Amino acid sequence: MALAGIRSFDIRRVRAASTHVDIDNGVVESAGTSFSDSSVIRVLGPVGWGVVSLDHFDPASAKDRDAVLKRGLALARITEREVNLAPAPSGLLPVPPLSEDPRTVPLEEKTVLLSAIAAAARVEGVASTRAQYTERAELVSFLDSSGHEATYEVVRSGFSVLAVASRNGVVQMARESRHSLTGLNLRHQEALGREAGERAVALLAAPVPKGGRMRAVLDPELAGVFAHEAVGHASEGDLVLEGSSVLQGKVGEQIGAETLTIVDDPTLPEFGFEPVDAEGVLPSRTEIISRGRVAAYLHNRETMAALGNGVPGHARAMEGDAPIVRMSNTFIENGDASRDEILEECGEGILLIGSRGGQVDPGRGVFQFNAEYGYRVEKGSATTLVRDVSLSGEILATLHDIILLAKDRAMHQGYCGKGGQTVPVSDGSPHVLLDRAVVGGAGSE
Amino acid sequence: MCSWTGPWWGVPAVSDRAIRAGKHDRAIRAGEPDRVIRAGERLADEVEVFLVEARSVSAELQRDRVDRAEESRSWGMGIRVIRGGCIGASSTSDPGAWERCLQAAVDSARLATPQEWKGLPGPGPVAGEAPCFDPAVVPSPEAAGGILGRMLEGVAAHPDARVTSGSATLSRATLTLSNSHGLERTMERTECGCSLETICGQSTGSEFDQSPFRDIDPVKVGEQAGFLAVHSAGGEAVADGRYPVILSPVAVAQLLGYIVVPALSGRNVHAGRSRLAPLLSTRCMDPALDLRDDPFARGLGATAWDAEGVPSRRIDFVREGMLLAFAYDLKTAYRYGKETTASAVRGGFGGSPSIGVHTLVLDGKRSDITRDRALYVHDVVGAHTANPMSGDFSVECQNPAWMEDGILREPVRKAMIAGNFFDALADLGGIGPDSRMVGNAILPSLRLKNLQVIGA
Repeated sequence: MALAGIRSFDIRRVRAASTHVDIDNGVVESAGTSFSDSSVIRVLGPVGWGVVSLDHFDPASAKDRDAVLKRGLALARITEREVNLAPAPSGLLPVPPLSEDPRTVPLEEKTVLLSAIAAAARVEGVASTRAQYTERAELVSFLDSSGHEATYEVVRSGFSVLAVASRNGVVQMARESRHSLTGLNLRHQEALGREAGERAVALLAAPVPKGGRMRAVLDPELAGVFAHEAVGHASEGDLVLEGSSVLQGKVGEQIGAETLTIVDDPTLPEFGFEPVDAEGVLPSRTEIISRGRVAAYLHNRETMAALGNGVPGHARAMEGDAPIVRMSNTFIENGDASRDEILEECGEGILLIGSRGGQVDPGRGVFQFNAEYGYRVEKGSATTLVRDVSLSGEILATLHDIILLAKDRAMHQGYCGKGGQTVPVSDGSPHVLLDRAVVGGAGSE
Repeated sequence: MCSWTGPWWGVPAVSDRAIRAGKHDRAIRAGEPDRVIRAGERLADEVEVFLVEARSVSAELQRDRVDRAEESRSWGMGIRVIRGGCIGASSTSDPGAWERCLQAAVDSARLATPQEWKGLPGPGPVAGEAPCFDPAVVPSPEAAGGILGRMLEGVAAHPDARVTSGSATLSRATLTLSNSHGLERTMERTECGCSLETICGQSTGSEFDQSPFRDIDPVKVGEQAGFLAVHSAGGEAVADGRYPVILSPVAVAQLLGYIVVPALSGRNVHAGRSRLAPLLSTRCMDPALDLRDDPFARGLGATAWDAEGVPSRRIDFVREGMLLAFAYDLKTAYRYGKETTASAVRGGFGGSPSIGVHTLVLDGKRSDITRDRALYVHDVVGAHTANPMSGDFSVECQNPAWMEDGILREPVRKAMIAGNFFDALADLGGIGPDSRMVGNAILPSLRLKNLQVIGA
């Protein structure tokens, strides 16, 4: 140990190259690459954490390292709550191979491929299109005071396309996006662009439904966001430890149907994959809800030591920030119904499709999220297209309202914000049927 | 959920991410971007260099004890080049890598579609001094810890409220913008902020304060966070229906930020992505309403020059309900034959400038909006899911309660409100007499006429 009073330390350095292309109405607004190099040094002092964040810091220099550890210790002096760390396995999973390394494809070619997706979105009635490509290659190196070291490289890339249609003062939009951890995904995606364009135009004539309580079918993307917002956040060990989660004290309790299992798994080769967590811990799968019972929380080493019930390995950090407890790939396990059976069982209600995002207050146990669009469900069939519908609810009540699960689970990629940090995640689910869903819409019928 | 957008240089809003940098500025020091400009002039028509050096210290509470203190030092450089009307940009946090960064900016320009371009600004006077620096803001763990302590004093007034988390941040930054026309501008900025989260049973409270000056009131933040959690406990259900709603300045910030601000961007206006585009010079908002960008107002976004170095000025977007202006940066202005409104902003040192607001002020004819009974909403959950094209939103309310005769009365357990924000602004129930700094905006409470309320 370098300095007296330091119980442990770790250093996580991220060197990244970020590339983007932005095509707005056919014009290449910007395209290029930027570079960054940030290190976060965490020092566990006699009581709590001192954290130093620096740009362009080389941990190989013993002199620089000692100076920064000393600074971390000085910061830690004002802490009052004793932090302890649970033991955890270290290790590094292999990063899934890239089918086509985006870095080997010239930016000119990516621009051409993205242009084609944007052009496909420009169907009749579309007033504006915007397509964006993002790529980020991160070289992460980790070392800690017990001698663990890990270095890995991961390349994430993807695109989004937005179509805006307008007619007689009515403006509507539709968006499609796909992101990948396993290689360039820009080729042969014109159909998605067209889909966005056609939907934006169709939404111009779509009514806004009247909100209220009704049966709702959530598609795999929206149900995945539900798993993430309503259950995932409330299971995060730091929120449970603070006392701001409705799942606190609920381990072992039946909070949903026997058919309901919700999992977070950073080892899956999906968009939220982590080969090693941000504290150097070998990640593993956690069943948060197992057959309707609360089974475990998501933990880092600190919350594991304080709370138990689960495994560490869920610490993640955005470049330049200290690790916090995060989800990775979160999903509801398949049931055994078909989509048609779910709609039939719904009878009269609403089918909600896609996601514009969501938010949760895990302490109060209330969540809100918005669908991209939806359909009325009448006599067991999806009928009229509707727009601007959202879903809100109380976590615990809503879990009991999940009455049927299909067997068509699909994962979708996104980004999750917490404590000012944004990290890549994926969410997924089969189609699910919610009884008594609180559906928001400003319409009158 | 405290601020919807950061000020343009990207210094952290409360609990937001700081721009990162280091003190390892051996290769290039702040104030010495000439070398980059000289090298860049050989490769492009014009060069712009933006440097940020920042330092911030924060401390965090877990429950009611400090469990972490953090210091961040950051150095970052953004380079923009223009060649034949093609604009390219890159950035780096490694001073030794400036040549690679410059080359990346030049490569980036090669790919951009050329456009009408009449040049970066030259040196010239600015219109005044912006209130954005306070020498009393000194980032130190002791100062941050002291702010946390005062929030805890405040929350003690509500013994039934338990603290779940809190944070305090103090930061200082030096920004330098230079270009190949001899422009060189520098400013120092400071910011301090604090926030506290509380719970009482299953009722949560959250409050914050932030300012460029050392004038935040942590005791009041603590009191208010405690009050909200305790007051909202034991709320009753509200029957579905249409009710008048009072949005607090925090809730107003959320909806304005996600729905109205993007619609005022000249880029969105000309790209067909703004509902306000065809409404210029019409009375499309309530006659009581004024909306302006005032870069010299005492706010987190106060600045005497925009992210391209153009002297900033007041923009009256809406006066007495009449839509008068949209916001432009140089690029959008040159493209569409308009004039820049000095509305270029940056989200940190990276990337290209884009169109935004400095300090958004909602003002107008004030009135007592709390006399007649209405549903009061402290904050909203999910404003980012609103439809920015149409203005339709449906969001969940935080700490909803009935308000009458200026007094917060019975709490409501759960309420979702839905409506169209553009329509609501066209026919307001009134603008309250209060004003509050929220992120880079200064806002009052607003009374909206009948909104759809879905209870539980």
